[in-house]
Amino acid sequence: MFYLSLFFQYASQYLKTRLTYRVDMVIEILSDLLSQGVNLIFILIVFRHTAFLGGWNRDEIIFIYGFFLVPYAIFSSFFNIWDFNERYIVKGEMDRILTRPVHSLFQIILERIELESLFGAITGLLVMGYAMANLELTFVWYDILIFILMVIGGALIYAGIFISIATIGFWSDSRTDIMPMMYNISNYGRYPINIYNKVIQFVLTWILPFAFVGVYPASYFLNREEWYGYAFFTPVMGLLFFGIAILLWNAGVKRYRGAGN
Amino acid sequence: MSMYLEMIRVRFLMMLAYRTNYYSGILIYSINIGAYYFLWSAIYGGKEEIQGLSVAQMTTYVAVAWMARAFYYNNIDREIAAEIKDGKVAIEMIRPYNYLGMKTMQALGEGIFRLLFFSVPGMIIVTLIFPVRFDASVTTWLFFFISLVFSFIVNTHINLLTGIMTFFLFNNTGLIRAKRVVIDLFSGLLLPISFYPEWAQTVMSYLPFQAISYVPSMIFTEGFVGQEIYHALLTQIVWVIILLIPIRLLWSLAKKHLIVQGG
Amino acid sequence: MNVIEVQNLRKEFNSYTSRPGLAGAFRDLFTRNYKIHAAVDNISLTVKQGEMVGYIGENGAGKSTTIKMLTGILTPTSGSIMVNGMNPHKQREEFVRTIGVVFGQRSQLWWDIAVQESFRLLKKVYRVSDEDYNHHMGHVIETLEIGPLLDKPVRKLSLGQRMRCELAAALVHNPPLLFLDEPTIGLDVLVKLKIRKFLQEINEQYKTTILLTTHDLTDIEALCERVVLLDEGKIIYDGRLDQLQEHAVEGKQIEFEFLSEVSRSSLPRVENIQWEQKDATTWLGYINGDEQMVSRLISDVVQKNPIKNVRINEVSTEEIVRKIYEEGMALT
Repeated sequence: MFYLSLFFQYASQYLKTRLTYRVDMVIEILSDLLSQGVNLIFILIVFRHTAFLGGWNRDEIIFIYGFFLVPYAIFSSFFNIWDFNERYIVKGEMDRILTRPVHSLFQIILERIELESLFGAITGLLVMGYAMANLELTFVWYDILIFILMVIGGALIYAGIFISIATIGFWSDSRTDIMPMMYNISNYGRYPINIYNKVIQFVLTWILPFAFVGVYPASYFLNREEWYGYAFFTPVMGLLFFGIAILLWNAGVKRYRGAGN
Repeated sequence: MSMYLEMIRVRFLMMLAYRTNYYSGILIYSINIGAYYFLWSAIYGGKEEIQGLSVAQMTTYVAVAWMARAFYYNNIDREIAAEIKDGKVAIEMIRPYNYLGMKTMQALGEGIFRLLFFSVPGMIIVTLIFPVRFDASVTTWLFFFISLVFSFIVNTHINLLTGIMTFFLFNNTGLIRAKRVVIDLFSGLLLPISFYPEWAQTVMSYLPFQAISYVPSMIFTEGFVGQEIYHALLTQIVWVIILLIPIRLLWSLAKKHLIVQGG
Repeated sequence: MNVIEVQNLRKEFNSYTSRPGLAGAFRDLFTRNYKIHAAVDNISLTVKQGEMVGYIGENGAGKSTTIKMLTGILTPTSGSIMVNGMNPHKQREEFVRTIGVVFGQRSQLWWDIAVQESFRLLKKVYRVSDEDYNHHMGHVIETLEIGPLLDKPVRKLSLGQRMRCELAAALVHNPPLLFLDEPTIGLDVLVKLKIRKFLQEINEQYKTTILLTTHDLTDIEALCERVVLLDEGKIIYDGRLDQLQEHAVEGKQIEFEFLSEVSRSSLPRVENIQWEQKDATTWLGYINGDEQMVSRLISDVVQKNPIKNVRINEVSTEEIVRKIYEEGMALT
């Protein structure tokens, strides 16, 4: 309860600041839209030259992309920690965080929310709607509940992976470029997992489980029964990876060296 | 000149100091190229060739495009933006060197480092696993490296431009992000330009982006031959020169801005 | 009651040295030379409620590291810490609600929003009731004279204004213990005086315990009865400030400025006096003894040599501390 009211306090504060720099917000939303557009263009162009990708057609791939956008939007709104190392460890802002009586990770999440990224979820729903119309998919009422569960699972997987990477900063004071590169890798979960070889399939399923943010859960809605087992595992993977991230974080905070040493 | 060489050297040292970066960098580059290899194999399905490129050429195209990216890619736009925001640029201005020149040299140091220590080991790993072919002729290699230098310059020009824009926008992160996405798509990193519909190819031929990735990759995979190579190199040179104009203009505007606003 | 109890506290940092040159940097990729360095080296310390303690030392002496361990930011390598009856790192979230922290070089406030919005956010973070907040902060805001600044965004404030707001922000939850790390750095004299006066007031009114590190020893002179001196991670003095003054500099310093050049031989040779030449016509005499020695020495010197000026110098804390660090004298 306390954390929830704190969240609203920060969020309203955030909106106040953001509304002062409206142009910025518009540019940021546009740049998000642009990158979503670019990914769609990639899919559209690829399917100019082929009818199937590993046995999946254009609209199915578009649907997967649309689904992916929803957990991704939630992740980018609330877990903006890609520059954690520079901002909090190198500059020593972590000192300030640690002198306040709220869990340190939660404070950082609050300080770094970027609510405008939630617009990506709308894009995602529209893209999914377009693909569903083309595919003539139908859904029943409980599919909505399953969708919400899958989305939360996916967002938690993303959060878990990126928080775990951020904790490297506690052990190694050196700058790392792993974060931006990880964004590249996360893209591969949006394509049918069966096109990759065993090693990459394994990596995308169990090590950096980005396939759970795209192709696996989406296959449930696409009625691809051969992937149902993985699809329903999405929320479990989410909790698991997020849990591991929290443990790593708490262990990392104990190792924090402070700035200027 | 020796001062700029020193900048390159220092950047080199800085990059070497980050060990985690180094090891993870090689690994992630390999994974990237690997994933793209499979993606493209799936796209080809059983087809012999698409738009005149065979699967083997396409795989090489992707591998080379990523290797080239390691060289031309840099974050100086973000660095410039940060230095402008922290007000450090004002201090840099009174130093006895050209600020933009120094940033370019730092980027070059970083690029050479990545090329030698990320791309080369990454490439060795990739050639061991995937059917990527590096048996191009000496002249092809030569042309490739020439065009790689130009693609570095064009990309750095664009980064300088986005960086300088920070003077005029309050928060530049959106623009920087948008620029990165646009370059990935329109430079031919993700898709060879020849895959696009005709009209899109025409539009892109008027933009500087294909000089960044498409040209060197096509030269290396011998998708460009004979006259086409010279023509492509010429296009790169033209963009190197054209982009200097807005940089000069915006920079002198920015300097005035700096004097009036005091940072 | 002891607010702070620290025993054999130690903090080690693992650092590596870089080999010189490109070839060296390349070797560093594979093997590195590691070195363990104790920033805080087995210190023990107790602070009673209501005390104001000055914590001094040169850069790198371990002041900040100690403060960061006391506030729960860093985990100690070994030793025990009890602050406000809790273990700062283990019970961090509960513990930090009982302390206030000001880092002079780091802002606690949100840069883009108005000062009072920051206060409101902190009030929420520390779960302070409206009643307590209004009662207590009203007084703080008034004393620090920051009322007119409340609706300005932090980035528009001058350093002095910001610092006063920082101090108020650290007191939103009226903590019984306050850590101040370089609170007056870069401030002008008037703001410094205001801040000192305020600290004295809350110390008297709420019995707030204050631990203060600063480069400006006049802060310590104005505020602290007790000082703790730190050198290379070890405590080299812990006691009353006035005793430090008495012990460290034996007696007084007298500065004689003569009309013409004077050699050492024409000055009186007395056992308890040490002479030091400042320039051709000026000598400094250090007297180790009672007050009477001073007048006797002056009359001796003046009788023999024509004098332009005589000055009896009180030695400032700054000089004492400088002397301690330069000459490495340890006091107990």
